[in-house]
Amino acid sequence: MLKKSSVFVAKNRLKALVTSDRVKCTPDSYDKICRELYETLSKYVEFTEEDFKVEIFRTQILISFSGEEE
Amino acid sequence: MGEVIVITSGKGGVGKTTTTANIGAGLSEAGKKVVVIDTDLGLRNLDVVMGLENLIVYNLVDVIEGSCRLKQALIRDKRYENLYLLPSAQTKDKSAISPGQMKKLTSELKEDFDYILLDCPAGIEQGFHNAIAGADRALVVTTPEVSAIRDADRIIGLLEKSGLRDNALIINRIRMDMVRRGDMMSVDDVTEILSIPLIGALPDDEHVVIGTNQGEPVIGIDSLAGKAYRNISRRIMGEDVPFMDLNSSHKFFSKLSGIFRKG
Repeated sequence: MLKKSSVFVAKNRLKALVTSDRVKCTPDSYDKICRELYETLSKYVEFTEEDFKVEIFRTQILISFSGEEE
Repeated sequence: MGEVIVITSGKGGVGKTTTTANIGAGLSEAGKKVVVIDTDLGLRNLDVVMGLENLIVYNLVDVIEGSCRLKQALIRDKRYENLYLLPSAQTKDKSAISPGQMKKLTSELKEDFDYILLDCPAGIEQGFHNAIAGADRALVVTTPEVSAIRDADRIIGLLEKSGLRDNALIINRIRMDMVRRGDMMSVDDVTEILSIPLIGALPDDEHVVIGTNQGEPVIGIDSLAGKAYRNISRRIMGEDVPFMDLNSSHKFFSKLSGIFRKG
């Protein structure tokens, strides 16, 4: 399928909407939050940007990362 | 001691009133004593959906202002044993009552009824705060659309902020043909975003419109939506009812009508 399904578009729009609604910020500041959290944590913990994820729920902000294990 | 359940959504037109009427009928069918309350002051509708509009003498505001006794304002639904309606006022606005008064009223009704269902108005203003004031838990109704889901998310946030944490989701008007071709969010898509437990999923069923036309709950009509509402009622009572397959019956009906067309 070349054309993305409209559900795919809807879910992405919704995720951005509820995220900014939940923390009462613009979608743009959500990106900034992620960036700054990443920068802060990466000072102390070793991980790459791809392994790092910030999710905003109604009552909590969840920071998750998958660190390398040896 | 009864339980107070508020049916809410944020966005208007997603099926709160229909859901309230049908769950009320479903619970009473299961032998429970139920009262459904229309809390939408100025825009009374639950009476019409239930087909009881000609029986209204007193309303919610009369009860709260003390113009009549509570029992005088309750309308008994003759088709369902132990189902009562407390209608809203058509001429008052939402400032006519306060959250404290609603809390007092629902706690009084808890003595007499197994379930008190509150049909909440759309929006997040005083009407919403009145409706949730005395509630023990909430059923959040949404449709698989971006605007309705966004509003549902805000409502859930506001409910949690008010201390209501035992909330469940009802997804209304699902069209499986559209879900299959990737043009409508599925039950899983919606629950993933809203992250509260699902208590019911309803197909977009024309029987709902037919029922409303006739002022009769769709639960009394042999239909997919009627069955889904009956299942929700049983889940409210704590029964573990498996979710029905919204796919199969649709296919069956379309096949059936196909045969007739050919014939």
